[in-house]
Amino acid sequence: MQRFKTFFFADKMARWTSRVLLLLFWQLGGNLSVRVPTPLGTLQFIGQEWSRAYEGAPWGVFNNELSVNLIVTLARAGVALTLVVLVALVVGYAMGQIWRIQASFTDLVVVGIALPAFIWALLAVMWFGFGNIAPVFVGFVAGTPMLTVNVFQGSRAIPRELRDMSESYNVTFRHRFRHLVLPSMAGFVMAGFRVAALATWGAVTLVEWFGNNQGAGHRAHYWYDTSNFDGLMGWGLIILAVVITLDRAVLEPLVRKARRWRGDITGLGSAREGKRTVETSDLELLERDGG
Amino acid sequence: MTVDPATVREPAAPDVDVAQRAASIRRKAAGYSLLGGLVFLALWTIAHFYLRNETFEYVPSPWEVFERMWGLIFGNPERNVAPGAVFVNFWETLRKVLIGWSAAVALGIPIGILMGRYRYARNFLFDFVYVAANVPLIVYAVLALILFGVGDTGPAVVVAIQILPFVALNVAEGVEGVDRNLLAMSRAYKRPTNDAVRHIVFPSFHPYLFAGLRVSFADSWKLGALAETFGGQTGVGVQIRKAFQLFAVADLLAWMFFFVIFVLLIERVVLMRLERYVFRYRLRRGEDVLRF
Repeated sequence: MQRFKTFFFADKMARWTSRVLLLLFWQLGGNLSVRVPTPLGTLQFIGQEWSRAYEGAPWGVFNNELSVNLIVTLARAGVALTLVVLVALVVGYAMGQIWRIQASFTDLVVVGIALPAFIWALLAVMWFGFGNIAPVFVGFVAGTPMLTVNVFQGSRAIPRELRDMSESYNVTFRHRFRHLVLPSMAGFVMAGFRVAALATWGAVTLVEWFGNNQGAGHRAHYWYDTSNFDGLMGWGLIILAVVITLDRAVLEPLVRKARRWRGDITGLGSAREGKRTVETSDLELLERDGG
Repeated sequence: MTVDPATVREPAAPDVDVAQRAASIRRKAAGYSLLGGLVFLALWTIAHFYLRNETFEYVPSPWEVFERMWGLIFGNPERNVAPGAVFVNFWETLRKVLIGWSAAVALGIPIGILMGRYRYARNFLFDFVYVAANVPLIVYAVLALILFGVGDTGPAVVVAIQILPFVALNVAEGVEGVDRNLLAMSRAYKRPTNDAVRHIVFPSFHPYLFAGLRVSFADSWKLGALAETFGGQTGVGVQIRKAFQLFAVADLLAWMFFFVIFVLLIERVVLMRLERYVFRYRLRRGEDVLRF
């Protein structure tokens, strides 16, 4: 009996119990209601999507509805994110160093964070129509303010005394960058990159939903129009799966690595992030976003 | 030699008055911020005159958008807009968001207490909370559409699901920090559990709870409007959807500006006041917690 208890109450077991229970409840709900898709049906649908050849061409690993649409969306998000990084690093750093630039940009950044991505998405669809420009534009607009704020805070976090001292002792630029700028900014930049990446991904899929002929969001809308709820749920699940894989496998380790020298991340993961928000600075107020 | 106290001067005041200097910097900063806004308006006007299209107006002029905004506030009989249309629609959205908030708080506090207190609950609920916090807004909107169809229930429910993890995680964080000695003392003096919860547990997590709610506000507002755009019947999102379907860029921009104004107004005025009220005991202690 005692052994059962230790088995079922172990950390891992608790997590798996919850996962299995969630699936069971979902299946049960799906069986009870006509509208709610079941996990089995959704999985089956994703399988079908995988085996469906893309627009007439013969089927291939990279030429089916699942891969093509997913790769198109990932590529758009990737391009948008590259632009976000390029612009936000420059603007955020300049804002931190030159107060005139900070004064002229702060309000614009605050407004940019407050603007929801879906309004941008609708505007972009009207302006640019189908194609690649609209998703990249909206991804860029949604991600840039988030990263800018974080880079700004990071560049403010470079200790001024150390900077002045290294200047007066003629420390080389490389040395200064490696030992002063990088460690003090990396945590902020990586945290901002994570938020911006999630925002960009959400924004790109949104544009595709509102008006596009390719991509994950477009596919979800397509199945919604044919009132196939398994399909809608299936693509929703794929979009979610990409976010979680990206976050778990790439972004979170990066943030952790960038902050490891401070050694203040433990336990509940993002709960620590919540703690930081008790003391918010002016720009941090609106920082979080999901697209 | 004796010194006549009347002739001893106070040390000379510094040449620069610190307060005056700060005020001057603030004035200059406001000037630059205004400059940024004016540059933006200028670029917009240039875009209005140079980006053109036969089928519809790409970029309406700033004054046209302003006129639409005016009409949305005071009514515009020509365009069949009732006076106060903005307030009616924003109230509809706000109502849904507030219902979602209340549900999230009501569910999130017990979940957070469990997660903060019991290791098993923490592991059991971790995945739910993690996933719920990272779901892209489009997935939530789709979910509302699937589960509740076209109507007002969907937006409120997904807003609740979206805020729940913030409430739960922040409450859990606060509960973890509860002073165990105080709990032991209240037990030793045989105080009822109710009292312990009210006077020890609650004060230890309520700053966290408030922080979580505040940070998630902008997000919940966006999600509420988005869910309305997907499948609502009333509210800002529906108006935005209508503007989109009619290709009315000017209307869409007008709603967009109202959106920003409302978010900033609530963030900066209402929530900040509320925060000052909730944390007034810290202000009294002279702690520098409120840095804005």
